[in-house]
Amino acid sequence: MTQLTVDIADCVVSADPEAVIVTYALGSCIAVILHDPVRQVGGMIHYMLPLSETSPEKAKDRPSMFADTGVPLLFQAMYSHGCDKKSLVIKVTGGGSLYDDKGMFNIGQRNYTVLRKIFWKNGVIIAAEDVGGTKSRTARIHVGTGKVTVRSQGEEVEL
Amino acid sequence: MIGTDEIFAKVQTLPTLPTSVARLAALINDPRAGTLDFESVIRPDPALTANLLRLANSAYFGLSREVVSVRQAVALMGLKRVFEMATSAAFARVIPPFLPGYGIAAGDFWTHCIAVGILSERLARDLGRDVPGLLFTAGLLHDVGKLAIGSFLVDEALPMHAHLADGRISFVAAERAVLGTDHAEVGLAAAERWALPPAIGVAARWHHAPLDAPTPEGRVAAALVHAADCLAHMLGFGTDVGEMRREVDRRVVEMFDLRPARLERVAGDTLAEISEMARLMIAPQESRP
Repeated sequence: MTQLTVDIADCVVSADPEAVIVTYALGSCIAVILHDPVRQVGGMIHYMLPLSETSPEKAKDRPSMFADTGVPLLFQAMYSHGCDKKSLVIKVTGGGSLYDDKGMFNIGQRNYTVLRKIFWKNGVIIAAEDVGGTKSRTARIHVGTGKVTVRSQGEEVEL
Repeated sequence: MIGTDEIFAKVQTLPTLPTSVARLAALINDPRAGTLDFESVIRPDPALTANLLRLANSAYFGLSREVVSVRQAVALMGLKRVFEMATSAAFARVIPPFLPGYGIAAGDFWTHCIAVGILSERLARDLGRDVPGLLFTAGLLHDVGKLAIGSFLVDEALPMHAHLADGRISFVAAERAVLGTDHAEVGLAAAERWALPPAIGVAARWHHAPLDAPTPEGRVAAALVHAADCLAHMLGFGTDVGEMRREVDRRVVEMFDLRPARLERVAGDTLAEISEMARLMIAPQESRP
């Protein structure tokens, strides 16, 4: 089994059916996890912020930092492995928040809202998600089977 | 189970810091101290010298030219900055491999410390404020109380986890419920035990309730550290058993008129620097949860 780690503001795609792609410590950040069961290709992005307009220069260096520049890149990377949009299974996790009654630190919620808009515009449907709350999450996808797990507060669930 | 008095008694028996850090802390409080005094502390310690120079050449602290000696670092950056780098380099060596009560490995704990140091300063600049003295170090060492508590916490880890599993309770509230105190109070005691400069103890003590700090300067510094701490927890820098159960102090939001766009810009602009400094100062880790 090969383990591929997705750092914050990073994106990984693999066509190795033995590979597991993992990302740690998703707080307000979001992981979008794609799987093509036909081609046995898996991909994951761990983006940090909703919109690249806050730091256009950073978006050039690290497009995976932002939902609006990173998520399209993840889909393109899947297509370059021969994946078809119609067969992609899409799962989403992360987007947590602190106890914040003024909501100014609610990057998690903003990350999720922007993602939903991008998906809505492009006719993408989320198959399963585990978002929000005060959880920090670790997400994994087994590239061969498409099995996705989310670990938080000492428990692991399948998504 | 350990009592509150016992915790504070144990703080007084914490191992002393490496001589070099203790001497640096004394120097920064001494207005007569100069470059030669710093050199005489740092140079005999080859590991500290090497780490200091790596930091001096990092993207965050770095200048346009390469820094090759302690003397040059002091000449180019000033004593305070070199003290901040030397303290970072020295503290990195005293962190135990794992903090039992907090369920966090040294590497992740230290990444959190580095993130808060960098984010505190960046936020101050982004707000157009003067950066309070030793703010980087105050941010870096804001959780020094966890280091102290973690060194003698074993049995208390489980009840703390149980409290956290039980509804909407913040991590600090769980600490108070189980220990009768929290890492902020213990942090001040530890900073005093280690004779760290007062600015560091104040930020450690008040980073969860900055507006209660006794002086105006202390309030500003603790508030910057509080906001940076919240950001670091959100972004997943050094997640521990408390996960995201942290209270954002609304008084800090009002004090700085914090808005999402500013916080997002500060977060995005510092990611590369935080990652680089963590790489420079942390040995590769074997396992994570």
